[in-house]
Amino acid sequence: MAENNRILTVSHLVKNFGTHEVLRDIDFTVDKKDVISIIGASGSGKSTLLRCINLLETPTGGHIYYHDKDITDAKMDIYGYREKVGMVFQNFNLFHNLSVLENCMVGPIKVKKQKKDRARELAMTFLNKVGMDQYINAKPRQLSGGQQQRVAIARALAMEPEVLLFDEPTSALDPQMVGEVLNVMSTLASEGMTMLIVTHEMAFARDISSHVVFMADGVIEEEGSSEDIFVHPQKDKTKEFLSRFRNL
Amino acid sequence: MISNMSFFERIIYLLQNYGVSYMKGAGTTLVIAIVSTFIGCVIGFAVGIVQTIPLDEKRDSLLKRVVIRAIKVILRCYVELFRGTPMIVQAVFIYYGAAQLFNITLGMWQSAFLVVSINTGAYMAESVRGGIISVDPGQMEGAKAIGMTHFQAMINVIMPQAFRNIIPQIGNNFIINIKDTSVLSIISIVDLFFVHKSVAGALYTYFESATIVMAIYLCMTVISSKLLNLWEKFLDGSENFELVDNMDIGNQMNKAKRKGGR
Repeated sequence: MAENNRILTVSHLVKNFGTHEVLRDIDFTVDKKDVISIIGASGSGKSTLLRCINLLETPTGGHIYYHDKDITDAKMDIYGYREKVGMVFQNFNLFHNLSVLENCMVGPIKVKKQKKDRARELAMTFLNKVGMDQYINAKPRQLSGGQQQRVAIARALAMEPEVLLFDEPTSALDPQMVGEVLNVMSTLASEGMTMLIVTHEMAFARDISSHVVFMADGVIEEEGSSEDIFVHPQKDKTKEFLSRFRNL
Repeated sequence: MISNMSFFERIIYLLQNYGVSYMKGAGTTLVIAIVSTFIGCVIGFAVGIVQTIPLDEKRDSLLKRVVIRAIKVILRCYVELFRGTPMIVQAVFIYYGAAQLFNITLGMWQSAFLVVSINTGAYMAESVRGGIISVDPGQMEGAKAIGMTHFQAMINVIMPQAFRNIIPQIGNNFIINIKDTSVLSIISIVDLFFVHKSVAGALYTYFESATIVMAIYLCMTVISSKLLNLWEKFLDGSENFELVDNMDIGNQMNKAKRKGGR
């Protein structure tokens, strides 16, 4: 892959919580239009990895490069960086005090200093894309989980990020709502959005991913194309993990 | 003459002759409570917000960390001092003490507002801090994830939610202030309690005057808490929302209806 397509390079990343090592020596890269799924058991460090990439957790060691800039450097403008790296959370984290439309406009207006009209136009475009444009006047608490998550995706898109990070976006949803959120994500992937997805939806990961990362006990145990991991896994841990999912 | 009257006759007598004084006293009490609660809230919000500023060991400069730590310690002392001493002593201390010690002459009104305000501020600071902490941490993470600074997140996301949680505390403090201004009679503020003392002392009608004063205090506090409840309801907004008719379905249905009708 050509160097100028590279968005993120994670190099020797280490994260400790006290004496507990959560991530050990993680290396991987994200190129433009990649759809990377990170799978693995709970507690394997998947979410922590994603949170380190967005600097919601401060890495203990190693480096993360955004294009050529080291974001773990103390002088790095982390706010400007976070504008470019969107995040969708397991619990949606929509702003409860704002309406659906305001949730999608507050970032562009306050952070990117856009004009209100432009921000509104942009917000409506993305709310339309996730099928929530009818609900712009609703408050988050008035929506179902799936609806909230779709708004959260629109909010992240409204910042026009280069990469979207998804931290178990469907884990808090019931099976029916999972579908509506996964559909939105599939659409985004097919439109060329660069995505990094931590998920337990194995069939979805298999179908959507250009690259799959399997994590176990804080290290990347195995990675490769969707076929490599799901059809021809090499390591025993990968095989054992995948054997628990029947419908693959 | 008054000694021959029954209890209710005495109350009516007091109201007829001193009603205006009672009302003026109640007015004073209310003014001090309203103004001081307001100033106290401003102080409380400022202190609470400063106390919840996070410090990043890695990214914040040493100077910034030292300065903020120092300010936090000073604010902590302020809260402990004014929460931990009786307001009546603070009033005496400031009204009489300030003049002697620092050669500042404060009028009794200035002293009254000052004492009640900084007292309320000390209590509110803790309420505001609690209100901020009680907002789901996910809200701050959501704000950070779209590139907001701590300050932007506080203004746009955290404080509006914290404020909603703090309103009952503001109400609490306001009602406490209505009652506790009575200690200000020690620095000769003519509030409701001062009026009571004067009237009762002059006519030896302690029981009757106290009855009137209690009723007035109770009226003020009950009405206040009712108003505060209404304010909370107003801030909570509507339970309902309207779908946006982006496909113009409403109009089409109306048209269809009209056609059908013809």
